[in-house]
Amino acid sequence: MTASKKIVLLGHFGVGKTSLIRRFVENTFSEDYQVTIGVHISKKTIEIPEQESISLIIWDLEGQDDLKKTRSSYLLGTNGFIYVFDSSRPLTFENLNSELKFLKENYPNVPVKVVGNKMDLVNKTYLAQYSSVFKPLVDFFVSAKTGSRIETLFSKLAKELI
Amino acid sequence: MLEPYKKKYHTNNFQYILVDDLGCVLETDNTLFTVQKDSLLQTIHPFFEILNSLLQIDNDCFEFSCINLNLEKKVVIVDTIIYSQNKNENLIIIENLTKHYNNYQLAAQTRNESIINSQILELKNEYLLEKETFKNNFIANFSHQLRNPITASIIFSDLLINSDLNTEQKNYLDIIQSANKDLKNRIEDILDISKIESGKLILTEKVFDLKKLLNDIVNGYKFLASKKGLDFNFVIDENIPEFIKGDQYRLKQIIGNLLNNAISFTTQGSVNFKIALNYIRAKKANLRIEVLDTGCGIASENLDYIFKRFSKIESENQNIKGSGLGLAIVKYLISEMQGNIKVESEINKGSKFICNLSFKLSDYNQILKEELLSKQLLGLEKKYHILLVEDSELIQLTILKILAATGNFFINIISKGEDLVPNIINQDVDLILLTNTIQNFSAMDLTASVRNLSKDYKKTPIIVLSTLAFKDDVKRFKQAGVNDIITKPFDEKKLLEKIYKYIK
Ligand SMILES: Nc1nc2c(ncn2[C@@H]2O[C@H](COP(=O)(O)OP(=O)(O)OP(=O)(O)O)[C@@H](O)[C@H]2O)c(=O)[nH]1
Ligand SMILES: [Mg+2]
Repeated sequence: MTASKKIVLLGHFGVGKTSLIRRFVENTFSEDYQVTIGVHISKKTIEIPEQESISLIIWDLEGQDDLKKTRSSYLLGTNGFIYVFDSSRPLTFENLNSELKFLKENYPNVPVKVVGNKMDLVNKTYLAQYSSVFKPLVDFFVSAKTGSRIETLFSKLAKELI
Repeated sequence: MLEPYKKKYHTNNFQYILVDDLGCVLETDNTLFTVQKDSLLQTIHPFFEILNSLLQIDNDCFEFSCINLNLEKKVVIVDTIIYSQNKNENLIIIENLTKHYNNYQLAAQTRNESIINSQILELKNEYLLEKETFKNNFIANFSHQLRNPITASIIFSDLLINSDLNTEQKNYLDIIQSANKDLKNRIEDILDISKIESGKLILTEKVFDLKKLLNDIVNGYKFLASKKGLDFNFVIDENIPEFIKGDQYRLKQIIGNLLNNAISFTTQGSVNFKIALNYIRAKKANLRIEVLDTGCGIASENLDYIFKRFSKIESENQNIKGSGLGLAIVKYLISEMQGNIKVESEINKGSKFICNLSFKLSDYNQILKEELLSKQLLGLEKKYHILLVEDSELIQLTILKILAATGNFFINIISKGEDLVPNIINQDVDLILLTNTIQNFSAMDLTASVRNLSKDYKKTPIIVLSTLAFKDDVKRFKQAGVNDIITKPFDEKKLLEKIYKYIK
């Protein structure tokens, strides 16, 4: 039987949570920003080499600049978090530390992947400027626009959930 | 009577579903969407996968709001309550709130977009500002470094002109001098622009003789025009006030720029310069300055560009190149003086620049006071001791030549900062000329070391020869006890004027 796992995407609004999921699930991208309200839930089954396949139930939450404002029922029964920020907008990662602390305290056993999206918009010098924040905390830099590293992100997380 | 309304507005918006502990549908009313009895609710929409874990718990209630369900090819946004009960019979109530949430969506959309846009704008702004600051500092520093060599070049060519030269050599020297002047003006322009852009260009207010200033300007440009075979007409309205208060240097710069352009872009015909009084109101005179030429003119599509900075002018418009930064500075100066400027032009017919400027009225007494000071320059009775602290041999030589030529001074030159104090203790010094670029020492520290010696040295005039020309720099020097500043590049006249001013 295929196990299903609930993955929740968190982060400020407009950082590209919906876009990441659309790239992963439908392999599409749009420049138009349609604000998510409440939650959209989608599903994708992926094969993991030499393992059973796994169904990811992906919860795409309305963006919040503070995790504490998130409706707690949405987070119920989560198996893995993806915390997304917009690499090109420092305000979306300025409180990264406290956001991650909140998750660690309230969901101590749930793995968290920290993802900087919109890599296509920034360059190396820019990243270097924020390396003191990025180096210790960020797991993946991705781009929903180009698709870069998105498969890797989800399959890495999925493997940890088995 | 209420029943039909309740049905329409309440019942129709709710779906009730009973499921067993695995999520299998036992009964439902199908108001919002159709589910088959005995089917697994999880297969209807991935949201219901949540049941797998929730239904394991007995006698609890879970509320989910604002869930977007994509069902039967349409989106409904619902609130859901799940009552898990212990008799293998669990109740799910789904309320359709699509309309309500869609309104909220619109509000959130506007709010988020405007927040994100303002963040992006702010970032862009920050980035641009950083770039601008970097550029302005670079320009300012670079122009400072050009000052020493240009000063030397100006002064030595001035000295050469009085030596024995044949006609050919004199002609060459003419070219060098005019190139020097040009170079100096361009550096001043670049500095002005960087001052403008960093908000450091500040206008001064002093009483001056307007008619005299105009005549000085006109004489210079009349000569230039006649060299090109152009008629130069100057019309002055006799009603204009004689003494006004304002920044005479900048006014000269504005008029000079306009006249200079008019002459450069005109190959035949005339340049007309008119100045008239518009009106006097609230003790202020509003003047109209008009410069008209019969030159090549400016195409109407370029009229917008001519007051913009060099990037635009040089790249996009070949036929007005050479006006360089001048008009951008003119425009800025005029707007700082609360005035306005406009241009009318026709290709191959000529251009007309008109600007209106207000100045406070003043009187002769004010100017007398200021003139008195400058008259004290002349007629020295004894020779004075000047101590020059400068490590550039070029500047040493330059100053030595100028001062020696007057016959009024004994000059002592040192090139190390640490020799300053021993030197002034051991001999008479009437005035110290101190460069601000000497190795290992700042002019401010050196000044402090002199001022701290004893009461006798508190009053020894110290003039700094500086490559730093910003108002802030000048202020810092003065606070450190420096009496005055001569900015590089300087010429003979400027140097002597300042020295005479401080020698009694
Ligand atoms: N250049 C670029 N733009 C992106 C990328 N990902 C998303 N965007 C754009 O960013 C905007 C917001 O993307 P969404 O995916 O709607 O963001 P969100 O995090 O779901 O926003 P909320 O639903 O309001 O929380 C859209 O205009 C996307 O086109 C990316 O990788 N590169
Ligand atoms: Mg979204």
